[in-house]
Amino acid sequence: MFFNMNDEWKNIAKEKTIFKFLVASLDTTYNIKIAHDVKLLLDTKDTPKLFFSDIETPVCADGECKLANIKVYWNLLGNYVGYGIDSQLPLTKFEHDPFEKADYKKLHQLLLDDNSILKRRQMSDLIDEVPTANANQLLENVDAVSGATKREVKEAVVKGGLYSCYTIWHIVHGEVKQKISAYFRSIHSEKLNNYLLNSPYKDYQLYAIKQLDKEKFEASSAQVIKIFKTNDAVTRHYILKKIPNKLLSNKIISNQLYSLFSSIDINSRTLLIEKLKDANLNAVKILSKYVTYMTKNQLKQYLKYLKGTSKKTRRSIKSNLIKASNHKSYAYNYLIKEFLKNKK
Amino acid sequence: MTKLKLTLFIAFQLFYLNAKSQDILVEAESFIDKGGWVVDPQFVEQMGSPYLMAHGMGVPVSNAATKVNFQEKGTYYVWARTKNWVPGNWEAPGQFKIIVNGKTLKNTLGVTTGWSWEYAGKVKINSNDVNIQLLDLTGFNGRCDAIYFSKSKKIPTDAETNLASWRKTKFGETTVPKKQKTYDLVITGGGLAGCAAAISAAEQGLHVALIHDRPVLGGNASEEIRVHTLGIYGKFKRILKMIDTKHYPNGSFEAKYDQEKRDRNVKNFKNIDLFLNWRAYDAKAKNNIITHVDARHTTTGERIRFTAPRFVDSTGDGWIGFWAGAKFSYGRESASTYGEAWDEWGELWSPEKADNFVMGSSVLWQNKKTNKAHAFPQLPWASSVAKDHKAIAGEWYWEFSRNDLHQINDAEEIRDHMLRAIFGSFANAKKMEENKNYKLQWVSYLVGKRESRRLLGDYIYTFNDVKKHTKFKDAVVEEVREVDVHYQRNLKDGKQPDFLSEAIFYETEKYYIPYRSLYSKNIKNLFMAGRNFSCSHVGLGGPRVMLTTGQMGAAVGLAATICKKYGVNPREVYTNYLQEYLNLIEKQQ
Repeated sequence: MFFNMNDEWKNIAKEKTIFKFLVASLDTTYNIKIAHDVKLLLDTKDTPKLFFSDIETPVCADGECKLANIKVYWNLLGNYVGYGIDSQLPLTKFEHDPFEKADYKKLHQLLLDDNSILKRRQMSDLIDEVPTANANQLLENVDAVSGATKREVKEAVVKGGLYSCYTIWHIVHGEVKQKISAYFRSIHSEKLNNYLLNSPYKDYQLYAIKQLDKEKFEASSAQVIKIFKTNDAVTRHYILKKIPNKLLSNKIISNQLYSLFSSIDINSRTLLIEKLKDANLNAVKILSKYVTYMTKNQLKQYLKYLKGTSKKTRRSIKSNLIKASNHKSYAYNYLIKEFLKNKK
Repeated sequence: MTKLKLTLFIAFQLFYLNAKSQDILVEAESFIDKGGWVVDPQFVEQMGSPYLMAHGMGVPVSNAATKVNFQEKGTYYVWARTKNWVPGNWEAPGQFKIIVNGKTLKNTLGVTTGWSWEYAGKVKINSNDVNIQLLDLTGFNGRCDAIYFSKSKKIPTDAETNLASWRKTKFGETTVPKKQKTYDLVITGGGLAGCAAAISAAEQGLHVALIHDRPVLGGNASEEIRVHTLGIYGKFKRILKMIDTKHYPNGSFEAKYDQEKRDRNVKNFKNIDLFLNWRAYDAKAKNNIITHVDARHTTTGERIRFTAPRFVDSTGDGWIGFWAGAKFSYGRESASTYGEAWDEWGELWSPEKADNFVMGSSVLWQNKKTNKAHAFPQLPWASSVAKDHKAIAGEWYWEFSRNDLHQINDAEEIRDHMLRAIFGSFANAKKMEENKNYKLQWVSYLVGKRESRRLLGDYIYTFNDVKKHTKFKDAVVEEVREVDVHYQRNLKDGKQPDFLSEAIFYETEKYYIPYRSLYSKNIKNLFMAGRNFSCSHVGLGGPRVMLTTGQMGAAVGLAATICKKYGVNPREVYTNYLQEYLNLIEKQQ
C-alpha cells in the first residue's frame, strides 16, 4: 500500500458508489471499453474522505498479458494519493515477472506526477510496433521520439513495465479526475470547506482559501496565516493577492505576515513589498530588519516606498538601514548608502 | 601580442579625442581586434552601450586589442566602465586588466557592483600611437563597456551621473543621424518573423530594409541561441522552408547548417537590404504615424535613420512600438479578463488576479565528450544559484523568470543568473567520475526570451480562440501545435532550483490567428509579427513557436504589399482589401 496522506484510508466507516467511468483498452484488436465503479469513502461522522476504485485492466494489446489489478485512491479534489495491490494479484512486467518492491514505489512516484511525460504521448510514440506480449520491452530504437524524451520516459517508468505504467497512469489521470471534481463541487459545503481549510494538505488548503469570501477570509485569518507559513509559493501568492486590505492593515496580522519575510520564497517577498501601501505602518519597520534579504529590485522598491513615508517613520528605521548599509557581504549596500546620503 | 589589422579597420573605430587632448574615450566594442572577446549588444537600453565580454566558459580568452592615436604625451589616468556581474562573498568572476603599450595597469577590474567607472591606474604615454589591450583573467564573462583616459585625476561627474549625454557630447553625436535611407518597408528584428516578412514583401517587389542586431539571422532559431523551429508552415511553406530548422535537439551544433541556409536565402534577395549588427535605438511617431526608426551599428557606432511609409516590429520585445507610443501589455491578465481559466491548473495557468509574471528566458548549452579528463573549477559564485543541481547539458526547461525581474529591463541579470546556473550545475556534475571526460563545448551568451511586451492590435488573440478554433474571416495564420504555458518549478516545490521550468500543455485541433492581431491598434503604420503580436499571456502559449511566428511575418509582408499598392495603412487592408489580401496569401502555397 502506498499512500500520500496521513491515515484517511484506515478510518473509513462507509462507502457509496457514486458513478462509473469508462476506460478504453489500449488493445486495438478488440477496442473494448471497461467500466469501473468509483466509490466515495466516508468516516464515522459521514465526512467524505476519499474516492476509490478497484480497477482491473488488461496491460497488453493482444489480450494475452495478465490483467492488472490495482486499488486506486484519489483525494476529494480528484488528485491521486495512493494505491494498494492484492498480494495474490501482483503487477507484472516484461515476461510476466512480478513487480518488485522498488517497482511499486516507482509506480507510486509516477502516479503522483500529474504532468508526467506520459501525458502527451501516444503509446505508439513509445514502442516500435503494434504492442505484443513483449510490449513492456522499453523502446530503444524508436525514431518518433527524441533522445531526451526517451531518457525522460525511461526515468519515469518501471524498467520492463512501460505498458503497465502507461496504462495505469492514463486511467488514474483520465476523465475520472474531472468526474470526481465535478461530483465534489456538487457536495461541497461550508462544513466541508472548513475541513479542507484546517487539514494538513496543501492542495486542500488552497482550494478552501479560494472558496472564502471577504468575511470568511477575515474570520479564518489565523488558519490562513498558518497556511501562508507552510504551504508552497503558489498558495502564498494567492493569499497575498486576495487578503483584504482591512486585514492587512491590522497590526497583528501585518506583523505576523511581514515577520516571515526571511523564511519565505523570493516571489512572495516581492508581493509583500508591493503590498506595503495597504499594510499596517509597522510592516515598513519590520522589513527594515530584513533589508539584506532583498534582491536589488526589491530593495529599490522598498527604498522608493520609504521616500513617501513620514520623517518619523524613516527616523524609526534609520539604525536598521545604517546597519544594512555597513553589511559587507550585502551586494546592494551601496544603494542604501546613497539613499541615506540623499535623505540627510 | 595580438596582431592588429589596422588598415582594414581603423575607419570604423569609435573613440573620442579631445581637441585639447586632455582626454580620450574608447568604446570597447569598437576594438579593432576583438581577440576572444564577444560583442554583447543585448542590454543597450538598460546600461547604455554594447560591450565586450570574455565569454570563455572558464578559459581566459585571448586579448582584445586596438590602437588609438594620442595627440599629447604625458601621464594619463585610466578608467574602464565595467561591473562585477556576481557581487558577493567570493572573488569576482569577471576580472580583467588593461594593458597600455605593453604595460599592464595596476588595478584589477570587474570588481564593483553595478555598471560604473573603475579606476585602472595611471600610465605614461610617450608616443602618439597607443596600443590598448584587454587582458581577461578568468574566462568567466568579464565585461568592458568603454575605456577613458584623462589627464585629470578625477572622472568627470557627467560621466557618472549623465552618461548618455556625456557620451553623445564626447562623440559629437547629433540628434539626427547624418545617414538616411528610405524603403517601402522597414523591418526591425531578424528572427523567423522578421526574415519571413522580408522575404514575402521582397518577392512582391517591395524594397525592404531588415535591421538585425546580430551577425546572423534567425533569433532564437539561430546558431547563437539554437532552439529548433516548431509548428506548421500554414500557407507559407515555400517561404518558411528557406529559413526554418530541422528538428535537432535544442542546443545542438546542427543549428549551424540551417544558419547557413537561412542567411544565404535572405541575402539572395536583391531588394532586401540586410543590416546585420545594427540595433535600432529609437522610433518616433507623429500623429500616431511612425516617421522613422534610428539604428546604430553595434561595433562602429555608425548611425542610420530609416524612413518608410510602413514598419514591422519583429523585435520580440516590441521596441519599435514601445518607442513610438504603441499600446502594449506585459504580464498575466486575470483569468476573468478574457475567460481563460483552466481549473485543473488554476493559478499556474491563469491567475484570479493579474500579476507581472511572464514566461521566462532560456540560455542553452552543450557539452562535448572527449577521450581525456578535463578539469572544471568549483565556483562559489555559481553554486549559490545551482545549489546541488547537476547537469552536463541544457534543454528548453532551463528557464528563468521571477516576479521582481522584468524580462526586458532586467535581461542582463536574467542572462547572468542562467550562466551561474549552468556553470554551477556543470561544476557539480564534474565532481562525478562518470563525467570526467566532458567539457563545455558551447554556452550561449544570448538570452532566448519567450515573452515580454505584447503590442495591442485591433484584435487581442486569446486562449478562447484556440479552444473554439475560431475561423476568423481574416485568418492568415494556422496552427495545430499544442498550447503550452510555462511556470517555474520552485513555485510548487521550494526545493527545486529556481532556473528550471515546467510546461502545461493544452492539446488542440487546428486554430487560426486573425490579421487584426498583426498591426497596432493606435500606431497607424505599424505591423507586428512574432511573440510581440497582439495576444493575451495565455494566448501567446501556442503561437509563440517559430514557424507560427514565421507565418505571421510572411502574412504581414504580403499585407505591406497591398498597403503599397493602394497607399493605405495596415487597418485598411482588413476593412477594404481583405479578399484581395487573402487571395494573395492563397497564391503562396
